[in-house]
Amino acid sequence: MPLSLAVLLVVLAITAIIAALGCVIDKSAERDERKQGR
Amino acid sequence: MDLTHIHLLLNHIPTIGFVIALGLFLTSLVSKSDDLKRASLVLFVLIGLLSIPTYVSGNSAAEAICAGGPKAPACDDPGLSKALIETHEGVALFAFAAIVLTAAFAWLGLWQFRRMSRPQNWTLTVILLLSLFALSLVVRAANIGGEIRHPEIREAQEIITPNVHFARRIGALVLSLPWSWPSLETLHFIGLSLLIGVILLIDLRMLGVMKNVAFPALHRLLPWAILGFGTNLVSGMLFFVASPEQYAQNVAFVWKLILMMLAGANALYFTVFDEAWALQPGDEAPLSAKAVAVSAIVLWVGVLYFGSMLPFLGNAF
Repeated sequence: MPLSLAVLLVVLAITAIIAALGCVIDKSAERDERKQGR
Repeated sequence: MDLTHIHLLLNHIPTIGFVIALGLFLTSLVSKSDDLKRASLVLFVLIGLLSIPTYVSGNSAAEAICAGGPKAPACDDPGLSKALIETHEGVALFAFAAIVLTAAFAWLGLWQFRRMSRPQNWTLTVILLLSLFALSLVVRAANIGGEIRHPEIREAQEIITPNVHFARRIGALVLSLPWSWPSLETLHFIGLSLLIGVILLIDLRMLGVMKNVAFPALHRLLPWAILGFGTNLVSGMLFFVASPEQYAQNVAFVWKLILMMLAGANALYFTVFDEAWALQPGDEAPLSAKAVAVSAIVLWVGVLYFGSMLPFLGNAF
């Protein structure tokens, strides 16, 4: 596998994990705020 | 004064500070005191920030007592044990990772305090488990660190056992994989963009830009900044363990670290203090919030500057 493709795949995979983590935190905040009626 | 002095100055803070923070946290859980809980979470975050210079300055201390640098086959001083120094560095890396992870969840707890009146139970459980695990590692790292200069407390086995040098093994792995360095560089930029993007939005709101936006709406973006900071901390530390000699004596790196500590502490203002949280659409931020915003911009620009100048002011690459 060419180096540039390997780098791209690694970066995309880790960025996807970071994005998923951010979305989980944000969704949980939204859910709790809705529960509190804000 | 150099990084060796910094290491000697800071190396007791993760141990003693962590015991105090954990004691406060446990007391807050038993007494159900929110104020105590908030104080212990702030302490965890501050100790996490201080553990960064504590860890990286250790390499300078090791180089100072083992002349010839990290690649020297043995220390000149027969009273010292090279194996112990390397074991200390390896355990310290584990301890550092556990402390920083605890600090990240402690920050999340503070953020939840602000958004939801109190941290969620799962966050508190994770903080408790992580902090107990981190404490066990910190105590082990501190004990081995003490044995380096105190042969009277060494166990005979620890002097002769060539322990696996964990930190250097991780570093060697980073250097041996051809895709790792460019991937880490790219992730470092992605983390930087997340961090600076969110920080700038908040700071500009404080300075009067986008006044029609209430602060709580921007506050919701803060976890993205912390994820960016975490990405950069992990990628940055992998750079460091792969090639510590490029950073340990690099003046630009020292300044980058100092400014990063101050900027990290500065970010606590928007998580803990009430002034910014009270800002509704159209409200003018108080002078103190504006001062914090200006200092945050200056500090982060400083971090960017010294990060870029690592090869030019210092001896990296």
